Amino acid sequence: MAALRSSASRLVVGAASRPTLRPVAAAAARGMATVSDDKPRLKTFQIYRWNPETPTEKPRMQSYTLDLNKTGPMVLDALIRIKNEQDPTLTFRRSCREGICGSCAMNINGTNTLACLCRIPKDDGADMKIYPLPHTYVVKDLVPDLTHFYKQYKSIKPYLQRDTPAPDGKEYRQTREDRKKLDGLYECILCACCSTSCPSYWWNSEEYLGPAILLQSYRWLVDSRDEKTAERKDALNNSMSLYRCHTILNCTRTCPKGLNPGKAISEIKKSMAF
Amino acid sequence: MASIARSSLLRQVAAARPASSPSLIANAARAAAFHTTAKRSLLPPLPQKIEGTVNDAARVPPPSPSHGSYHWTFDRLVAASLVPLTVAPFAAGSLNPTLDALLCATILIHSHTGFQNIIVDYVPQYRTPRARKALIWGLNAATAIVGLALYEFETNDVGVTEAIKRVWKA
Repeated sequence: MAALRSSASRLVVGAASRPTLRPVAAAAARGMATVSDDKPRLKTFQIYRWNPETPTEKPRMQSYTLDLNKTGPMVLDALIRIKNEQDPTLTFRRSCREGICGSCAMNINGTNTLACLCRIPKDDGADMKIYPLPHTYVVKDLVPDLTHFYKQYKSIKPYLQRDTPAPDGKEYRQTREDRKKLDGLYECILCACCSTSCPSYWWNSEEYLGPAILLQSYRWLVDSRDEKTAERKDALNNSMSLYRCHTILNCTRTCPKGLNPGKAISEIKKSMAF
Repeated sequence: MASIARSSLLRQVAAARPASSPSLIANAARAAAFHTTAKRSLLPPLPQKIEGTVNDAARVPPPSPSHGSYHWTFDRLVAASLVPLTVAPFAAGSLNPTLDALLCATILIHSHTGFQNIIVDYVPQYRTPRARKALIWGLNAATAIVGLALYEFETNDVGVTEAIKRVWKA
């Protein structure tokens, strides 16, 4: 990050005056082909701001301009740079910066995605607009309140439920085919991108579970080791929990991990149909 | 919340609307000072309410297959059966009153469950229970009236397929 932030001229000076830094500087110059003394490539980020300490003030969009030559490639790099250098009050969640924790889910240029997996488009001169996840209660700036989302996740009992012990007394075994059924389901990181992009979830989030939770529900329904399939299906068998899905497929389009919650939901519907 | 869902233009319009009396203006000013968004929406977002503690699971409704899986399956079967019923009179080349009546009934049920889905989607039970009840019964009444009308049309007149045939001048 230090190498990214310092300008090219400072890199050269540092390398010349302190020989120990030379390999770092050389590596930076080689790896970061964009770090050069070209003219700055400015990009403006419009970011949703709302402060709970001044609740009477309307939410507003605040613009920050960065030189992309000195910024990492992803939107999260830009956000971190803004927070470090321009405005320490900017608030957002982030943790792993590699798309495995799901903290930095936000609405970037109209699409729900993870800031750490979303590249900053370099060629267009348009501003980037960054909002919190749509139709969520906002805690501050880009931080949504996901309490109800997590409560819904808990309601589907996302853990292995069985009464019979393992035959060998050691572990619950699965065939390769049964294990294969969990691919595309277990990778979900519960970032809530899909649920908050679903119109049905916008209107009925209090009762409808939403694509992310239903994908997880299906993950436990198809697990060959789980013995409470009937109970799990009963919990979904009402007008609201599952059947508010109208196969809009915004969930599948937006998933930053490339999963298919829409297919999982239709598999649940199919398995409950007859 | 929800301020992002409304266009800023709408909010400006709401703010620019003249109030009719001084007390109204004072009230509006007080409300505007407290709320960050204009009160323009049909169903403004409720204050967030969390049942139990944050660590409790969300409530699981009791199973009712007649509103769940049976309803959905029935919906799909009706929708699928509409395809052959629509094609049949043309394929057969003749008009069968029984088939015609069956087509009418299926379309009626199909539109009934379709409207039912719209009401369930947009008029939530927990939030507007009376409007929900009124709309559901209104829909039931409308379906009954249309059903009666179709019965009359089928028994005392030419029937739907023949009527479309006469009107269709393509």
